[in-house]
Amino acid sequence: MNDEYNTILADFIVERLELGVFAVDAQFNIVLWNRFMHTHSGKSAQSLKGSNLFTTFPELPESWLKRKIESVFALGNYAFTSWEQRAYLFRFKHNRPITGGVEAMLQNCTFLPLKDEKGKVEFVVITLQDCTDNALIQQRLAEAITISDEERRKQQELIVKLEDAKNQLFQSEKLASIGQLAAGVAHEINNPIGFVNSNLGTLERNVTDLMKLMAVFESKEAELPEAAQQELSKIKKDIDFEYVKEDLAALINESKEGLGHVRRIVADLKDFSRVDQSGWQIADLEKCIDTTLNVVSNEIRYKATVVKEYGHPPLVECVPGQINQVLMNLVVNASQAFPERGQITLRTGEEGMYVWIEVQDDGVGIPSENLQRIFEPFFTTKPVGTGTGLGLSVCYNIVRKHEGELTVRSEVGKGSCFRILLPIFHGKMGESEELEAAHSVPQ
Amino acid sequence: MINGLNEDQSAALQELANIGMGQAGNSLALIWKEFVHLSIPRIAMVDASRLPDLILSFVGDTAVSASRQAFHGGFRGEVLVVVTARDRNGLAQLMGYEGQLDAAEREEVLLDIVNILGGACVGGIAQQVSAEIGFSAPSLIGEDLDPLDVINPEQLAIDTALSLEVCFQVENRSLTAHLVILLPNNEVGALADLLDQFLCTLEA
Amino acid sequence: MSVSVLIVDDSPIARKMLRRALPPDWDITIQEASDGAQAIDIYRKGSVELMFLDLTMPNIDGYGVLEVLQAEGLNCIVIVVSADVQPQARERVLAMGAIAFIPKPVNPEGLQEVLRQYGILV
Repeated sequence: MNDEYNTILADFIVERLELGVFAVDAQFNIVLWNRFMHTHSGKSAQSLKGSNLFTTFPELPESWLKRKIESVFALGNYAFTSWEQRAYLFRFKHNRPITGGVEAMLQNCTFLPLKDEKGKVEFVVITLQDCTDNALIQQRLAEAITISDEERRKQQELIVKLEDAKNQLFQSEKLASIGQLAAGVAHEINNPIGFVNSNLGTLERNVTDLMKLMAVFESKEAELPEAAQQELSKIKKDIDFEYVKEDLAALINESKEGLGHVRRIVADLKDFSRVDQSGWQIADLEKCIDTTLNVVSNEIRYKATVVKEYGHPPLVECVPGQINQVLMNLVVNASQAFPERGQITLRTGEEGMYVWIEVQDDGVGIPSENLQRIFEPFFTTKPVGTGTGLGLSVCYNIVRKHEGELTVRSEVGKGSCFRILLPIFHGKMGESEELEAAHSVPQ
Repeated sequence: MINGLNEDQSAALQELANIGMGQAGNSLALIWKEFVHLSIPRIAMVDASRLPDLILSFVGDTAVSASRQAFHGGFRGEVLVVVTARDRNGLAQLMGYEGQLDAAEREEVLLDIVNILGGACVGGIAQQVSAEIGFSAPSLIGEDLDPLDVINPEQLAIDTALSLEVCFQVENRSLTAHLVILLPNNEVGALADLLDQFLCTLEA
Repeated sequence: MSVSVLIVDDSPIARKMLRRALPPDWDITIQEASDGAQAIDIYRKGSVELMFLDLTMPNIDGYGVLEVLQAEGLNCIVIVVSADVQPQARERVLAMGAIAFIPKPVNPEGLQEVLRQYGILV
């Protein structure tokens, strides 16, 4: 390969390359201008040779670009521009006139020092690469990445919600089965309690009769021979007969009281879970409250004093099991509102065709920003793991299904008041004579 | 002594970097038409694992911007520049940027800084040991970074790095930029050979 | 009669590079100093005729050496050789009595030209 051939080859490459190539001298006069530059600028190498770069292309950022080129002359090093920071040097039309959506050809430029044999920079050669296609692909890629990031974020949120819902379902199923178990136990216990109760009654009567007999025996004791009397008195002393006599009655009374307690608990459990009678019924809401308070008494005993202000409203057509659940949630929530101990006030009343129940506490109150979200599913302010954030939303939905309203007013530091408003009639029970009878007002 | 280089090679590298930066300072003063005093760089070889601490000790506890550029040829590696926001804005003025910088201009300034300083320093050294060096287009590491986050040593495939601290005195202002030259372990040998050749020309 | 030359630079490489730039057939005796204090000691012995002086050095720097030399009558020719090429540096050392300022890396032709200009090298 001789030098002449090399020169021809180099000229050909510079001329036909799909790359802008031009060069300037230290006065910024154009000394080289390839075909690519000609095509895109509309100015030929012939017409430009020797003319000043900045007077020919006034759109160029002169002060900045001069310093850039000067630095290549002075330092003899490469310099670069990238479309990402500076979209273009020359305002050329790009190769995507229809589908592009960009205003001009995006360009990457490289500034190369062309040195003489002494190492002094004689010319600066600038190559200009059309990056529009790459840039568009990159932009689309960036957009796609943004979208997919957003989707991934949403998915992540959904996964968290699903996890919560799963836990909640698990929790509510657990509660439901505990309720069923309790109801089953209550049912099973009911029979033995029945006969223990009746046996206890018989036992009491029998003991009374026995005591009567003993009294007669004791009155005739003096008539017995001396030896027999001594024997009897010894036994009486040994078994502490006087105490046994008194204690028997007390034992039976205490057993009757204890058994009564067990019967009440069993009755409340059955009432609360309503396994034997679900669905729409005519119910006394005040009785619902009492039942609920009995069930949760352990939960709230050490946290709150309960005050009842009953207004004796009429009976209401409702699903008592569900209303009990709402009441239980509200009462337990209220008991958690106190830093130490507080008071829960339960009020009832009548308002037109509605009956209302209020559950008020004098606890910490709810900040207004939380108040708007309090009935949203999964909203909770309790530490992770202690609350599912579903309690109040379940309450809300139950009340809505009753075509009623669940509202809250609260003041931070003073406490909160939840108000349940329930319509008296639903017509769910068809011809409900019981209900009408219950509400018939004597004239 | 610099790890992988003997005493003579280290001394030569320090002197060549001094000369390179001195020449660059002179050239920059000409371009920027201001009295620019480019300090003689303080060179040190540091353990790669200590680079985050080193950068912190350069700038103190303040947000920094950083850019990088690869060089290849007689010896290969990357040069990294770390500047504070104040220094970046000062350097932008010198480079002919006018007014308030927008986001793209701030990035471009960082790319220019690493290009000029890396070229001056690495290019200066290469020229004096008669090595041909080319540079790739620079790229951004990031803006408003915690100094400790500029480099993650665990992602570096090297054991040691060469750090240079360069100060510019411009009129009454003092602008500072920090350069770190990262040489892959197996490239230290190539540089050592070049330095030996250079030292031979002194002995002949 | 050979010329007595003192090369002052903290970098041994820089001292070697300067030796290489001196005319090879020049009849000289060379001494070296690696900091300003050492340079002053050697200067005070009275034999130094030509001093190549770096500016940035530990202990006494190049400016400090020039100050002492000025105070003691400046009994030799001083050429400052430095990578610190700011114009103020040049002006300052010329005002302090140096006859020339040569930037690093020292180019042999440039150095010889300076030496001829001042009649040190014939």
